[in-house]
Amino acid sequence: MSSWFDYTINGLIIGNVYALVAVGLALIFGVSRLINFAQGSIYLVGAYIGWVAVVRLHTPLPLTIIVVAAAAALVGLVIERFGLRPLQNSVRIAPLLATIGISFVLDQLVMLTFSPNPRALPSQLPDVRFQLGGGTIGPLDLLIAGVGITSALLLFVFLRYSKLGWAVRAASQDRDAAMQMGVDVNRVNQAVFGIAAALGGVSGMLVGMYYNQIDTAMSLQATLKGVVAEVVGGAGNVPGAVIGSLLLGLVESYGVAVFGTSYRNLFAFLLLVVVLVLRPNGLFISPRQAPPEPLTGTFIAPSRPLRIPRWALAVAGAIFAVLPLFPVSFYVLQTLINAWLLGMLALSLTLVAGTMGQVSLGHAALLAIGAYTSALLSLTLNVPVGLAIIGGGLMSAALGTLLISPSFRLRGHYVSIATLAIGEIVALVILNWESVTRGPIGISGIPPLTLFGYDLISPSSVYWFSLAVMVVLALLQGRLLTSHLGRSFRAIRDDDIAARAYGLSLNRYKSLAFIFGGFAAGVSGGIAAHLYSYINHETFNTQQSILALTVVILGGLGNVVGAIVGSVALVGLPEVFRIAAEYRILIYGIVLLLLVRFRPQGLLGTI
Amino acid sequence: MTNSAPEALLTLSNVNTFYGPAQVHFDLSITVARGHIVCLLGGNASGKSTTMKIILGLVKPRSGEVTFDGASLIGLSTPQIVRRGIASVPEARRLFADMSVRENILMGAFVRNDRDAVAQDLDRMLTLFPKLGQRLSQRAGSLSGGEQQMVAMARALMSRPRMIVMDEPTMGLSPLYVDRVLELIRSINQAGVSVFMVEQNASLALEIAHEAYVLQTGKIVLSGPARALKDDPRIRDAYLGGSEAA
Repeated sequence: MSSWFDYTINGLIIGNVYALVAVGLALIFGVSRLINFAQGSIYLVGAYIGWVAVVRLHTPLPLTIIVVAAAAALVGLVIERFGLRPLQNSVRIAPLLATIGISFVLDQLVMLTFSPNPRALPSQLPDVRFQLGGGTIGPLDLLIAGVGITSALLLFVFLRYSKLGWAVRAASQDRDAAMQMGVDVNRVNQAVFGIAAALGGVSGMLVGMYYNQIDTAMSLQATLKGVVAEVVGGAGNVPGAVIGSLLLGLVESYGVAVFGTSYRNLFAFLLLVVVLVLRPNGLFISPRQAPPEPLTGTFIAPSRPLRIPRWALAVAGAIFAVLPLFPVSFYVLQTLINAWLLGMLALSLTLVAGTMGQVSLGHAALLAIGAYTSALLSLTLNVPVGLAIIGGGLMSAALGTLLISPSFRLRGHYVSIATLAIGEIVALVILNWESVTRGPIGISGIPPLTLFGYDLISPSSVYWFSLAVMVVLALLQGRLLTSHLGRSFRAIRDDDIAARAYGLSLNRYKSLAFIFGGFAAGVSGGIAAHLYSYINHETFNTQQSILALTVVILGGLGNVVGAIVGSVALVGLPEVFRIAAEYRILIYGIVLLLLVRFRPQGLLGTI
Repeated sequence: MTNSAPEALLTLSNVNTFYGPAQVHFDLSITVARGHIVCLLGGNASGKSTTMKIILGLVKPRSGEVTFDGASLIGLSTPQIVRRGIASVPEARRLFADMSVRENILMGAFVRNDRDAVAQDLDRMLTLFPKLGQRLSQRAGSLSGGEQQMVAMARALMSRPRMIVMDEPTMGLSPLYVDRVLELIRSINQAGVSVFMVEQNASLALEIAHEAYVLQTGKIVLSGPARALKDDPRIRDAYLGGSEAA
């Protein structure tokens, strides 16, 4: 790897791999207006099936490809039939959340079956390199290019000349009109999920061979890269997805050439954010295409929230407040402290996602900003910890709002993608900005919690402190929801066009929601930093963002009490039942799936 | 319904439809006789388009019966209903904008498997709609409204339907095209296809229809032979009743 020629070849090869994922995403988006967050999981499954075929069954390469494609397609069909088809008449957020849940479940199943340790996936091709121009090219490069081009041709022929292909194209342009021509949309969905999964699975296998390594972290990365490529090419645009993928591959490859490997993903997400902000319909889409996400209140399940009388809340609060006075174990307090910290994050997310309708998938970034700010303030500037935490909250509010503000004009799924990307960007900046954040080493020796000069070291004092902070934030937020401001938030969520017609400035209200939400999340992150005494760029990861989202949906989107109940339930119940850590994520995924299917309004109802 | 009517092809009887808690149809009963043009008139929000969606199975009624050629359509999916011989010209045409005109017309024959006959029918459409001949490879979305209406009608005919349902076929068209569309509907009907059309433009629709129904906030307030309704002073009041003075 030295010459520009090599970087170009590498970029195109990686681009080819992304294209196999992105094309599937584009097909699915075209037909279902859904961003399939489980696409990376199928890619992961494909890689591991490839491993089983090559290492255990010793299949020859052509057979390996066929086995992987067929098995992955089967997984795709199962996801469509049992995960998504039951949600057809559900609110529009439901399938999006379902694919997130499915992705968690699949990833964890792979991890439990094959262990989280990386495995080698040998390429089955002779290890030679041909001299070409100023660089070299190997047989695997040719294989990947060949698979990419063959798939593109097959797909073109399918869409252009087969009856089912016509049905796919018609359904992706106007689903109802296609049905009125006699197109069975369920069959179209099946076809699309089968094809997308087959391509995704083969892609995962090829990447495994390319790096001669597979592990479960591949899944999220693949989803993210596929989504980036798809959005760059224009959501739902199949040829656009191919070009977007190649472009992404090249941008990454040249970025790595100039700045180094750890910048690879940063370039991908910056490309995404730039495209989302400047050309949300993608680089190539025809201008007359329908604007993304014509959105009304049906995005979030409407419901009549459960009214909990004030005295009941007061009693519950009092019980939790006096709990440390009783001989409860350190373990219980520890668990509840985690629940209160998650509760603050959930309060933030339930405001932004539930009340405001901006379903954020990058909320962990707000934790990270708060945690790093508070840790660095107290460590390097000797700011008292109490003030440092408030500083963390303010920084999270300011920086979080600033980062998301270019995406304020996006709606629905696009908001989720943008927040996901911004979350990743924050983590990558933390990783790469070594002079301030100490990069991959992380920050250690963060001073413990103190308040007015008193050290909060005993578990009960930490418990009271975090409970008190959460309760104050919850009361503020409850007050906010019943105010004029809260009504304006909900008006924008339910119909932003109507809200704008009544003179509400979307940017101002979205900013206010993110400022308040950013503060709560930042405070939670700040407290966590002083509690853990060590943080790095992986402490606050995407899994936490998704966990927070599950909590919020469990409690009922927008529901303040629900956010806290959800936190206690999701943190507490696995502890009560002593569920091993590796099964927890699996359970979160299943909980999310069941909720979306059977109770999209959550336990206490959306507000 | 009508005394000397030929046998009924499509009937809706006592249909009640709801969108959430809001009732859209109240005991709606409509009959389309074989070989007739029947139009459903009504102002905004009277439930006209929903009636069409009921026939096509896009919306399910809470109670009531819908039969086509003697067999119930209740519980059938839209593609199944289309296969029974009902084609549609949806509101605002709803062409597949990024597909070519030829592909759009051929999509109408999606339920058919006789390729040669489909090819012949395509030629027949081009004699019926000569203008489309030069547009065949153009993107459907690039056509004018009137041309799009022609494509939508050709598309509907391609399935060789026994009945076509049309949602406001003259909406948004220039007067020239309005006449042309009405002319075409009449000739389609003379070729043996029954037509059920939803219209706001009462006077135009009554010119070509055999029977008509007037729908007002979900209830049929007037019905009978089009010839009789045309001169009925009540039609004006009833028809205007549902819509605000625009």
